[in-house]
Parts: sequence; C-alpha cells; structure tokens
Amino acid sequence: MTMATVETKPTGTRPAALKQTSLNTATAIEMIGVNKWYGDFHVLRDINLKVERGEKLVICGPSGSGKSTMIRCINRLEEHQKGQIIVDGTELTSDLKKIDEIRRDVGMVFQHFYLFPHLTILENLTLAPIWVRNMTKKDAEEIAMHYLKRVKIPEQALKYPGQLSGGQQQRVAIARSLCMSPKIMLFDEPTSALDPEMVKEVLDTMVSLAVEGMTMLCVTHEMGFAREVADRVIFMDAGQIVEMNTPNEFFKNPQHERTKLFLSQILH
Amino acid sequence: MPSQASLRQAARLLFGSPLNAALTLAFGAMLAVALPPMLRWLVLDAVLFNPDPAACRAASGACWSFIYVKSGQLLFGIYPVEERWRPALVCLLILALLGWSVRPASWTPRLLGLWISALALIVWMMGGGLGLEEVPTSAWGGLPVTLILTVVAIGIAFPVGILLALARRSTMPAVRIAAVVTIESVRGLPLLSILFVASIMLPLFLPEALLPDKFVRALVALTIFAAAYLAEVIRGGLQAIPRGQYEAAAALGLPFWRTQYRVILPQAIRVVIPALANTIIVMIKNTSLVLVVGLFDLISSGKAALADPAWPSPAAETFLFIGGIFFALSFSFARFADFLERRSPVAR
Amino acid sequence: MFNDARTRSIVIQCVLVAAVVGAAALLVTTTFTNLQTRGIPIGFDFLSMPSRIVISEAILSYKSRDPYYWAIVVGLANTVFVSALVIVFSSVLGLVVGVTRLSSNPLAAGTCRVWVEIARNSPPIVLLIFLYSLWWKVLPPVADALRPLPGVFASMRGLMVPSVHISLATAGVVLIIVAGMLFLAPRLAGSLRNFRPALNWATVAVLLLGLWFADATVSMDWPVFAGSNFQGGLELTPELSTILIGLTIYTTGFIAEIVRGGVLSVGSGQWDAGRSVGLSRSKILRLIVIPQMLRVIVPPLNSQYINVVKNSTLAIAVGYPDFFAVMNTIISKSSHSIEGVFIILGVYLALNLTLSSAANWYNRRIAIVER
Repeated sequence: MTMATVETKPTGTRPAALKQTSLNTATAIEMIGVNKWYGDFHVLRDINLKVERGEKLVICGPSGSGKSTMIRCINRLEEHQKGQIIVDGTELTSDLKKIDEIRRDVGMVFQHFYLFPHLTILENLTLAPIWVRNMTKKDAEEIAMHYLKRVKIPEQALKYPGQLSGGQQQRVAIARSLCMSPKIMLFDEPTSALDPEMVKEVLDTMVSLAVEGMTMLCVTHEMGFAREVADRVIFMDAGQIVEMNTPNEFFKNPQHERTKLFLSQILH
Repeated sequence: MPSQASLRQAARLLFGSPLNAALTLAFGAMLAVALPPMLRWLVLDAVLFNPDPAACRAASGACWSFIYVKSGQLLFGIYPVEERWRPALVCLLILALLGWSVRPASWTPRLLGLWISALALIVWMMGGGLGLEEVPTSAWGGLPVTLILTVVAIGIAFPVGILLALARRSTMPAVRIAAVVTIESVRGLPLLSILFVASIMLPLFLPEALLPDKFVRALVALTIFAAAYLAEVIRGGLQAIPRGQYEAAAALGLPFWRTQYRVILPQAIRVVIPALANTIIVMIKNTSLVLVVGLFDLISSGKAALADPAWPSPAAETFLFIGGIFFALSFSFARFADFLERRSPVAR
Repeated sequence: MFNDARTRSIVIQCVLVAAVVGAAALLVTTTFTNLQTRGIPIGFDFLSMPSRIVISEAILSYKSRDPYYWAIVVGLANTVFVSALVIVFSSVLGLVVGVTRLSSNPLAAGTCRVWVEIARNSPPIVLLIFLYSLWWKVLPPVADALRPLPGVFASMRGLMVPSVHISLATAGVVLIIVAGMLFLAPRLAGSLRNFRPALNWATVAVLLLGLWFADATVSMDWPVFAGSNFQGGLELTPELSTILIGLTIYTTGFIAEIVRGGVLSVGSGQWDAGRSVGLSRSKILRLIVIPQMLRVIVPPLNSQYINVVKNSTLAIAVGYPDFFAVMNTIISKSSHSIEGVFIILGVYLALNLTLSSAANWYNRRIAIVER
C-alpha cells in the first residue's frame, strides 16, 4: 500500500494560489493567502494550500510553528483574519450556517481525545448523529457499533471514557468523528499524548482510513506514518509553509536549512 | 456488649493524650451541666400526650401535647378546617415526588413533565375550582406554603440561573454586563429587602392590571434571589470545564445550545454538586422569611396557634417543632447531596 | 443576514439594551403615575424633618424629635454594632469549633458536629424566634439573676456585662496609634504571611507609652445588683442579646466548616514535611498550615461576613431596631417608600462592597507576597 497515490499529485513548494474560486469538485480544501494574528503575534503568514479529494497530507514542524492553528482554521475552531479558506466549495466566513455545514462534514481528532467524560462510549458516538444529523437513536447506535467494530473495541460500548486506556480513547475519538461520515478528517497530533505502546493501534486505524481514500490532514511527528501513507508532507515554521513535497523527496532531499535541522532532530 | 478491644480503643481516644483528656473533661463537664436539665424539660417533666391545657400549666417541662393537639393548625395555618385534607395530600404529594426524584434512575425528561403536571394538580388542590371549594392564596398556610415556595422557586430559579451564568460568560459585552449587574446587585442585598421590595414596592412600580397577588410576589422575589446565587455556583462549574470539550462539540457540528445542554452543563453541574446543595439548603431555609411580608408560612401559623388563650403559650416547643421540620428537610437534602457526590466518580 | 455571527451578536445586544431601557422607562412612568394618583410627594426633603418614630434601643443617642436622617444613622449604627460583634464572636468560636471537629476525641468532635449540623440546617429566623421565646422560660427574674461568669448577670431583663470606660483623651491616643498602624499596613500584611502576631511587643510598648503620656484613664464598670435593679455595667436587652447569641451560634456553624475545610485543604504532606524538619505540632500549625490555610479560607470567610450583615436584618423578627427595621418604620410612617427603598438598597450594597473590597485587598496582598 505504500506510495500508492504519489503520482496523482505532483507538487511544487508553492501550489496554485491563482485560482480564486473553487467550483472544482476535485478540490477538498483551498487556503488562499491566509493570515492570522494572536494580538501582535503573527501565527499564520500567507498560507496557500490546495488539497485534492482523497489526498493525505502530513504536516510537521517545531512546536509553535502554527501547524495546529492552520488545521484548526479549517473547521473554524480558530478564526483567520485575512485570506480565504474554501472547504468543499464553501467559503468560511462569519456565516454561522455555513460554519455548521462545514463542521458537519469535517471530522477532527484531538491530541487529548476530548471524549465527553459524562457519556458512555456509545453515547459519545451517537450524540452528534442524533442531534446534528437528526438520526433516530436506533440508526445512530447501529452506525456507532459499526465504527466501534472498525476501531476494534465494540466490547467497550457501555463503559465510560475514564475506564479506557489512552489508545482506546483515541480510537473512540476517531470512531466518533467517523459516525458523522465526514468528507475530510483533521488529526491534531493524535498520538502525542499516548504511551508508546499505544501509538501503533491508533496509527493502524489511521492507515486503514487512508487506504479507504479519506481526505486526511494530519499534524504529527510520526514520520513512519508519513512515509507510509502521505501524498505530501508539509513542513511549517514560524507560521509559514516552508517546504512541501512528496514523502520520498521530503525525507531524502530536503530543500531548506530549517527542514534539514528539524529532520535531523526528529529522525535522530 | 462492647469487646475489650473497642473499650481500649475508646479509652485511648478519650484519654490517650493530655490534650484529649483535657477535651474530654471540658466537654464532659459541659454536657453534664447542660444535658440533664434539657432532658428533664424535653422528656421527663414534659406533658407528652395529655390533651388538657391544665396539665401543661402544672408541668415544669415541655408541653408537647399542644403540638399534638394543634398539629392541624400548625401545619396548615388558616386553611379551612374541613378542607385540610387537601393541603395534607399536597404535602404528601410533594414529599413523595421529591423522594421519587431522588432516585437517579428517574432522571429523565419525563420527570420534568411529571413535576409540571404535579404542580398543576397542586395548584388545583390548594386553590380549588372545578368541583373543589375555592380557597384564595391568602388562606394558604403552613407546611404546604413552605414546600410549594421552596420547590417552585428553586425549580424556576435553576434554569434562570443557568441562563444568567451563560450570559455572564458571553462574549457579547452588553449581555455580560447585564448579567453581572443583575447577579451582583441581588447577591449584595439581604433577601428581606428583596422580599420587601417585591411585596410592598411592586404595587407602586407596576400598573394595577399587571400586579400579581402576595403569594406570587414573594415567589418572584425568592426565585430572583435563588437564581442569582445558583448562577454563581453554576458559573464556577462552567469555568471548570476544559476548552477541549467545547472544541470537540464544535468539531462535531453541535450548535451552541445543544453543546451546552448535552455536553457542558451535565459536566459543569456535576462538578458543583456540593455548592449547589448548599445553595438549595439555604433556599429551603430562606422560605421561612416570607412571614415578614405577611405570608402564612410555618412560623406564622405557629404564632397564630400560640395565641390561643386556653393554652399556656408554649412558644419554645412550637418553634422547636417548626425548626425540626426545616432541619429534617435540609438535613435529608444534604445527605442526598453527599450520596450524589459519592455516586459520580466514574467519569474522568 | 441573521446567520452572520457579528450581525447576530449586534442585533441581540441591541434588543437586550432596548428591552432594559424600555422596562426601566415603563417602571418609572407607572411609578410616577401611581404616586400622583395617590398624591404621594417624592423627594428627599423629608429626611431633615423630625421623625417622631420610636427606636427602642440604640448605641447612639436618639430622641424621637430627632430628624429622619439621624434615625437612619442610629439604625445603621445598630446594624454595624451587631454585625461587628457577631463577626468577632463567631470568628473566634468558629475557629475553635472547626479545629475541634478535626480532633480525634469523639466526644469533643461529636459535640461540635452537632453544633455545626444544627446551625447549617436550621433557618436563622426560627433559631432567633426560638431563642427569644426561651428567654422568659429559662431565665429567672432580676432578683435571682444567674451569674454564669463573674460580672455577668443573666435575667429576664437581659444581660448585664461589665463595660469599659475610656476617657476621650485615651480614645484619641488609641485612634492615633491605630492610624499609625494602618499606615504601616503593608508591613503588617507582610508579617501575616508568616502568621506572626501583628501586635508585637514593640507596638504594645508604643501603645502603653502613648497611653501613659496621655494620662489615660481606662476603668472597668462592673454591674452591681442594688435592691431592685442593676447599677453600672452595660445592659444588653433580651432583643439585642438574642440577636447577638442567635446569629453567633448560626454563623459559627458556617465558619467552623470553612475553617475545617481550610485545615483539610493543606495536605498531610505538609505536616509530614514539617515533622521531618523537627517542628512541633503547634509550630507546624502556626508556621506552615495556617499561612496556607488563610488563602483558602479568606474568600468564603468574607462571604460569611457579608452574610452576617445581611442576616442582621432578621433583627426585625425579635424587634431589635437595626437599620432595616428602622427603615421599615420610616417607610410606613412617612409614606416615602420609593426613597426609603433606594436608601435601603444603597446602604446594603455599599456595606457589602466595602467588606468585599477589603477582602479583595487582603487577598491581593497575600497573593503578591507569595511570589
């Protein structure tokens, strides 16, 4: 399964920022000249990025480089101040209706899982299908059990998050997103808070998702995962996309000094 | 029969160290002075069941037979005597419902419906109409007034308090300021002054047509008061919820109110159960203040019963009895809250 | 478009402001029309007119021909007097009861627990009325008054306690010294950090020296039973005694719980650490536990103090003329109800604001010192 889709998207370091509108249904996400500030601090500088459907991107970079902020702008957990973000043909503005539409179709997995501790696993999974997609409880539970089987922990359905291990919780979190049948999945350092022996079970789940053709943006330092499934790897530093390339090129032949330094630190 | 070991244990606790021995002696002496006369007055020299006022005059102890004889008037005030079965049933209904609601298994949306329909039933039973003799609120009295005021005031104040707490955390400055001013000024005032404004000033503030009766006015004051305090307690709980919970809910596409209702509030309220219980106990006790604005609660009906010249006016016994009712209500609620707190550690 | 976040926020806020303004306008206009139809004048001029109301007891001197504003001041002084005494008594007792509850001695801890549960679960007003009704039942007539402590007499007529007479000059000197100490308050707050007694020997020496120079006269006045009545001392009427005792019992229960929570909040690790460096139990308490405890207990303690001020309005239930009772009388007597209500609300808000800003100041002090 390695490198199966590399040839579908030849990329340079600066993808097309020229196309202004995106009626092209092959485009899942388009960011054009996106800028964001926290007060005086410039977190995102002129981000230009286009993600095709079915594409898998891995984003890495030192902490504070803006990588989490960037993907959090895609479902508007953070608000960008300048530029355009177009998700699935809809531009993100302060229009609440459109924000809701986009969030419904974009799943997100967090570093610290953020399961709802007062609800059982099953209730965690059915919450959004019932109250956002207006499904019946029965249908929602059917779907929830389906995805719990997918992440291989159907037997935990009636437990509370606090009773599960970190790896199991993260798999539940992935299943919770999948229950909304998202078109795009965002992963924000999904394995960083896990004990080493649990990283693999989560990565396996993510790989199987990738194989099925899900559009994925992953902020992660798991370079093995990047090599295995990514179509492109993005390196960010100081709020900018410094380098973007196929995993092969990225790891073998990094262009920028900062990338080289980062890779030398992370790959030992 | 206590075993040797437990006796030794007791001796160690009572006299094990100089400090403990001193404490035992000091408290022992205090109790030895205070308890015997109390016991004599409460039980040994008291008139327990003899319903003759003369017996009470003759005895040096408490006059419990007064409570026994006057229990109807103490509990139901000036409610028409032949209709007293109605407030009695209402009290039983409220207490039974409270007992039922205590079971965590019955915490479903249906419970709310149950309470609302019970409330309609209560109002009909108390007020009459539709086949029952009509009794105006001015004739309601005693325990049912206390119970209705407590339950309804807290019942309405709870959602209002939640709204105020959310408003105080709003990003909209006007909403936030309005909430802060409301909460802080109500909390800065004694309840008596709020009751006073509601019962005496409202007739001046409002046009005649909009003016509710005395009972409703007191209820409004109690509700506003409770809402402000509950709002602060709930806000404390909201502050304890990590931002990630909001983000996870947002990422799933849950809209604001759904997020609050399904995700945030259930957790926030669980965090503040002890503080919430304290506030509710304060409210149970606070309903006793409505006598100052002329409502016929337990204290007023006690005072009225004491006015009977046939009896030697056993005031201390009467107020002990009334205090005992309040104590039973708040104490059992406090134990219930302890139980809730112990029950919820599964999460997290 | 209402779906836009910013537009929505602006619209909601505008609607809210409009609703508040509208409601206020409605209230004001209906109030004025109501007042006009009833022919009630409005304004604060009445305050300087003679009140002719009766205030049964007061710590300031009051005659019924005094103006309304003086009656209000007299009531306020009563409220402050009662609140201050209750705060002092219940703080001391609450500390004792709270710490005793943690004792391993079951008799002592149990008795204190009963006190706390009774206080926390009974309405203060019932407690007050009950105590008031006990007054005549339990206490003997004046002739055979109880003497629970030397110089203290308890009878149906109230409590007689010794009073301290301080000459005006002495009071002045004390005031000057207190002002001086307040001037040194930052140092004082700093010393509280280690819970050193704020009144150290130097201050006491300065105080005594000052008193000696000022030729101070401080005398105790002991009550003496003379024939049919008491001579000397300070008389506390049954009403005043009831409200003092009742509110103290009530507040002590709450303060004891706060103190207990404060002690428990300092983890046992702190005790172990103190023991490991060889400190005695009392030194650990004084040097390690109490300073940390203060931070935990000051905020809830302050809200209890505010509660004391609010609960002092219950004096109305036993007929002690505190500020609220006096205002109540004034309102029913003068028919200036609107003005009266504004005075009531303003005074209580001001009192509570004063107390809570004092607590905030103290909180900030210990927080800054900590860094």
